[in-house]
Amino acid sequence: MTSKMKNLLLAATVIATPFMTATTAAAEGERYILVSHAPDSDSWWNTIKNGIALAGDQLDVEVEYRNPPTGDLADMARIIEQAAASQPDGIITTLADYDVLAGPIKAAVDQGINVIIMNSGTPEQTREVGALMFVGQPEYDAGYAAGLRAKGDGIGSFVCVNHVISNTVVAERCRGFADGLGVDLGDSMIDSGQDPAEIKNRVTAYLTANPETDAILTLGPTSADPTILAVEEMGIAGDIYFGTFDLGTEIVNGIKAGTIQWGIDQQPFLQAYLPVVVLANYDRYGVLPGNNINSGPGFVTADGLEKVEEFAGEYR
Amino acid sequence: MEPIIRMTNIEKHFGSVIALAGVTVEIFPGECHCLLGDNGAGKSTFIKTMSGVHKPTAGEIIFEGQPLQFADPRDAISAGIATVYQDLAMIPLMSVSRNFFMGNEPIRKRAGLRFFDHDYANEVTMTEMRKMGINLRGPDQAVGTLSGGERQTVAIARAVHFGAKVLILDEPTSALGVRQTANVLATVDKVRKQGIAVVFITHNVRHAMAVGDRFTVLNRGKTLGTAVRGEITPEELQDMMAGGQEMATLEGSLGGTV
Amino acid sequence: MSDAAINDERIKEMSPLRRALIRPELGGMVGTVAVFTFFLLFAFDSGMFNAQGVMNWSVVSAQFMIIAVGACLLMIAGEFDLSVGSMIGFAGMMIAIFGVTLGWPMWLAIVTTFAICIAFGALNGYIVVRTGLPSFIVTLATLFILRGFTIFIPQTAERKTIIGGIREAAEGDWLAPLFGAKIGGPIFQWLGDMGVIGVFTRGNRAGEPVVDGIPMLMIWAIALVIFGHVLLTRTRFGNWIFAAGGDAQAARYTGVPVDRVKIQMFMFTAFCATVFAVCQVMEFGSAGADRGLLKEFEAIIAVVIGGALLTGGYGSVIGAALGALIFGVVQQGLFFANVESSLFRVFLGVILLLAVILNTYIRRLITGER
Repeated sequence: MTSKMKNLLLAATVIATPFMTATTAAAEGERYILVSHAPDSDSWWNTIKNGIALAGDQLDVEVEYRNPPTGDLADMARIIEQAAASQPDGIITTLADYDVLAGPIKAAVDQGINVIIMNSGTPEQTREVGALMFVGQPEYDAGYAAGLRAKGDGIGSFVCVNHVISNTVVAERCRGFADGLGVDLGDSMIDSGQDPAEIKNRVTAYLTANPETDAILTLGPTSADPTILAVEEMGIAGDIYFGTFDLGTEIVNGIKAGTIQWGIDQQPFLQAYLPVVVLANYDRYGVLPGNNINSGPGFVTADGLEKVEEFAGEYR
Repeated sequence: MEPIIRMTNIEKHFGSVIALAGVTVEIFPGECHCLLGDNGAGKSTFIKTMSGVHKPTAGEIIFEGQPLQFADPRDAISAGIATVYQDLAMIPLMSVSRNFFMGNEPIRKRAGLRFFDHDYANEVTMTEMRKMGINLRGPDQAVGTLSGGERQTVAIARAVHFGAKVLILDEPTSALGVRQTANVLATVDKVRKQGIAVVFITHNVRHAMAVGDRFTVLNRGKTLGTAVRGEITPEELQDMMAGGQEMATLEGSLGGTV
Repeated sequence: MSDAAINDERIKEMSPLRRALIRPELGGMVGTVAVFTFFLLFAFDSGMFNAQGVMNWSVVSAQFMIIAVGACLLMIAGEFDLSVGSMIGFAGMMIAIFGVTLGWPMWLAIVTTFAICIAFGALNGYIVVRTGLPSFIVTLATLFILRGFTIFIPQTAERKTIIGGIREAAEGDWLAPLFGAKIGGPIFQWLGDMGVIGVFTRGNRAGEPVVDGIPMLMIWAIALVIFGHVLLTRTRFGNWIFAAGGDAQAARYTGVPVDRVKIQMFMFTAFCATVFAVCQVMEFGSAGADRGLLKEFEAIIAVVIGGALLTGGYGSVIGAALGALIFGVVQQGLFFANVESSLFRVFLGVILLLAVILNTYIRRLITGER
């Protein structure tokens, strides 16, 4: 038995070794940690990972990406506490739920760690928690702008496909869109879940049950990609007005094919890249931009898709 | 001597199936009463009726001179009728002492709270096991490490310790080897000598003849009478179990060894 | 056994090592030592072992412990509860609905939530013992039902899936601090003043220690572990739990009320999940529809690492607590050791596999099976 146990322990050590060597070879620069609220399954955040990695390379700083595997925001709060305990030079985090995350973020700020809020949150909340700045797209305003645009195109009703129903900030997009259109949100928002097949079927079911729906609004590639398939399968691709938040390979193809009228690019690359640049320069030279940075919204339509196409899913 | 339990014309129907069609048995303290029967003869139904699992459809049970109505097996156990089932007697993962006191855990009060009295349980277990001739490594030895015969013995000792007046053994030897069977039969003998009535269910005539004082044969839900030791031969018992004729011819070709 | 006269030549004396091996806690103890050795070697100066870091993995481990105690006793009683994670989300949401949306006093919201959740636990147990269906399936159904309610109710009541303002609603309540308070504040302040633990350097909490008390969550975890351990090993009911899981039929024949034991264990599991949820909403101040996702598996994994058998009838609460500690330390420690976070699952899988193999081996030792 003893030898068997030794073997097991030995095996564990052997398995663990490659991970350890990878970590000890870290760079000697400043250290920044980005904490997101996205579950492992959300592919959109890949652009964020690439963004901080590129900034890390260019500025010679150490960057890390952390997220709660299941998207549980209570777990995310623990990750922020943990990030603070490891004493980095700065933390870049989203503010997906103010109640849950404000405490840990404030505690980090009070320990002398610089914090930048990215992606989710509002300028007011950013000030409240004592973060340096907010880099992102004001979600309600972006939704409102999109709603106005759709209204101009003659739209009167819509369905909002929400794949992150628990994220209150993202739901603001739907509310803004409804207000921009001048209609009541009512039952227009559906909880699609994260699974592509489920999303596709729920969209199909909704559109079958509500054939008078003028427009679809999806909130990211997770919900947009299956929705593209759904409208193609129903034979209404190009007929139904289709707008989406965020970009991805399939969305770009959809815009090119005419299935999607426009995509709202919040330019996630900038949300990851800029905070690292800002933090590094603040740490090194004490310089700091005087205001929040709006990374979006930018409407992407069939015109001028080249760059978007080239870097979709990577930096766009 | 008065019988400790007398069952008269017991019938048990399950829907349209008649499992017992009028069974009459008397059991006396200190005797080993063998209940023989082939598979499907109604042995299981009969002992379940005796131990309170089933209620009889008709008939009368007199226990210590009183008519008896059991609501569930716990009533039977507290009245002193204990049953040891063939393979369901013990829980292998639990220690002998935990098994021994399962359902009858000794309690010691401390600070007003009721705790399991492990010291008492361990001591009693070791003593009782030694009486039955089983040497344990310790009271915390798991039952899983005991042989089948030893498990039966532990179960029997448990029933006796908790005041069984009637001990029903359901096929205790059917899955055992020769040596283990001998141990179990020796245990039965010890128990009988303490004045406890043993009901020994088996389809093995030789095991029955080894310890039985009286023999009742069940066939198709009926009793074919009760015989006293020395008044009946193994061959006759075998015949009665099989229902007579067809067995007689087989008997010859098998040389009487079934 | 001191009596040498009755030695039986067939029973070999057990070596002390073998004897130690058949303790259910052994795997957990070995694992705990291995895990701490590992992180002391590779993450010692990463902040993992400063006051804040210790508090971080302790709190996460304590969370796991709370649900692992319930899952452990239930598993020893021979059943699973897959609805633990959903129950956590549901309980938190109920507190928010009662305490914030409906504006009830917080103590009433907490008591009512406990009652509802324990009733759901009883229902789980009742369905399992009455139908004889595997608890796996029955509680899988409960998993979906509760999660559905957790999303539906707040959407209907408030048009959103996260309800905040619980901390404010709980202010001044007499029962809420039992779940949300921190104790030992002055001691930590003193430690901070002495320079033993770090203090905040700016903001309105400057000068206060970064760790300002032991959260009630940890007190609950320790209390539940002690309670579960005593219940299991030192009481009559504990013997019934082992018996119900070891062989329900044999237990019934000796008069153990197996059905009642199982139902009560389902209720206890629900109670533990609710404690988890109440502590969580009191700390974070909001309830979300996605809280507690996959926590049922984390509880079961902690219990299995702690040496309990999936088939029931064998295990230890102390083992489960150690399993939870290992789980928490590994999950948080890999971050401190700067390991890519997606590899956490790889580690978890390896640990789980090792634990199960070790358990199977131990079981053979106990029962003498080949």
